Amino acid sequence: MVNGIRGIYLRETLILRKRLVKTLLASAVSPALFLIAFGYGVGRGAQVNGYDYLIFLLPGLLTMSSMNQSYGIATEINISRFYFKVFEEYLLAPLRRWEIVVAEMLYGMTKGLIPVVIIFIYSVLCGVHFSLNPLFIVALLLHLAIFSLLGLITALLVRNHSDQATMNAFLITPMMFLSGTFFPVEQMPLFIRAVAALSPLTYSTQLIRATLIPTMAVNGWLFPVLFVMLLVLFAIARWVVNRVQI
Amino acid sequence: MPGHTVEINVTGLTRSFGTTLAVNDISFDVYQGELFAFLGPNGAGKTTTINLLTGLLTPDGGTINYRGERFDPVRLAVKQMIGVVPQHNNLDKELTSAENLRVHGVLFGLRGSELEKRIDFCLDFADLHAKRNTPAGKLSGGMKRKLVIARALLHQPKILFLDEPTVGLDPHSRRRMWAFLRRINLEQKCTVFLTTHYIEEAESLAQRVMIMDNARIIAAGTPDELKSRVGHYVLDIYRDEDLENEFFADRTAALKRLEKLDLSVRIRETTLEDVFIQLTGKRISGDKSNG
Repeated sequence: MVNGIRGIYLRETLILRKRLVKTLLASAVSPALFLIAFGYGVGRGAQVNGYDYLIFLLPGLLTMSSMNQSYGIATEINISRFYFKVFEEYLLAPLRRWEIVVAEMLYGMTKGLIPVVIIFIYSVLCGVHFSLNPLFIVALLLHLAIFSLLGLITALLVRNHSDQATMNAFLITPMMFLSGTFFPVEQMPLFIRAVAALSPLTYSTQLIRATLIPTMAVNGWLFPVLFVMLLVLFAIARWVVNRVQI
Repeated sequence: MPGHTVEINVTGLTRSFGTTLAVNDISFDVYQGELFAFLGPNGAGKTTTINLLTGLLTPDGGTINYRGERFDPVRLAVKQMIGVVPQHNNLDKELTSAENLRVHGVLFGLRGSELEKRIDFCLDFADLHAKRNTPAGKLSGGMKRKLVIARALLHQPKILFLDEPTVGLDPHSRRRMWAFLRRINLEQKCTVFLTTHYIEEAESLAQRVMIMDNARIIAAGTPDELKSRVGHYVLDIYRDEDLENEFFADRTAALKRLEKLDLSVRIRETTLEDVFIQLTGKRISGDKSNG
């Protein structure tokens, strides 16, 4: 691996290790609450597209929570950029700017795997058994990479920390609720479906859900759709990182 | 004494932010092995100059050459030969001293036992070995500063840039830091380029000083050369509420003038502050001169 990728990934994972307990708790509490509220509260006994609501909900919680962790690198990059000026260290090092993009993406993906493990534990506890298969792994990696890149891009586009919070409120919160994580998009009004069509989470949730539930048909076209999204976001991230000055 | 091989050559360097000209057409040379100070008040353009020299900012105009080769931040070889100590201690507070150095070392291509040896050496050199496993956030201000400097030295740079290295340190720590910087210059055989707004720092440390004000270079030379421009001795003449200064090339001439004055007068050696006041009409601290 190239020095820049190694160095930045090392830095991020060393810090992740120091914050592991907090990250585990953050990744565990929120989906547990959604699981109780929606899975055992509102959705108890309900069926969605012929599946038990809990089976429908758990993959949605998995994509939502892992999106939050992967995209959450935005806040960390933001703080280290504006408050601790750590980003300067990267800009001064003999590395190519795309190495920053790859390293942060890999870190975001690593962080996004934590809630995935937690949701799998919840699934076992709920008596739901998902199929762990190569298609799921590919879909998951695409999903994690997309939201890590989105986090990196927004962190470098905003001019201060409060802009980052605004960006999260307008980007992530609507995606969480309108992308088929809790309810099928097809049941939403036309306007909401139009919004959902713009969200990468809609496609990754649909694909990950289908790859996890053995009897659900996988729409193979979603792989190239997510892959193209990944390429576009990588290109944008590279452009954004290239123009960053202190 | 430094040699006369040019390490850094800057010609016509210019940079503005919006309508504010931060660096205005400056040109200068830094020689290999010298300790070079960039002196000026806050807002003079010193940090912008360092940021341009290290590739953190791109210039609007002008050229920078390192050892005769045009500096292009995309070319990694030049970045490998410079170390930078920014004005703020940009350490990862949660990481230990050794971990902060390790991350830097990996970014600069060091590996395995070579990296660990350099970490040990730099922690020893900065008297921080006992703090090896202490989180950077728990170090004192002076120790954090030393750790940032140790980090910049880890990859054995040929040129070390330090932006206000002693800002925020108490006088005792500042003097210890000066000794540390002299050691870096001599023992590590490193060209040191530092910015400061402390007159005594530039006078005490630097072999050559460049004075900057309002984005322009207003004088450059050894501290002695700069003082000889206005005269090596100065009379502080207290007239009513005002302080006036008169400069003389030597002590005899100053004493001769002193005898003729029937006022409260003090004779002293000229400082770089006097040079700055004579050249700009203001103090480095930014106050208007009363002299």
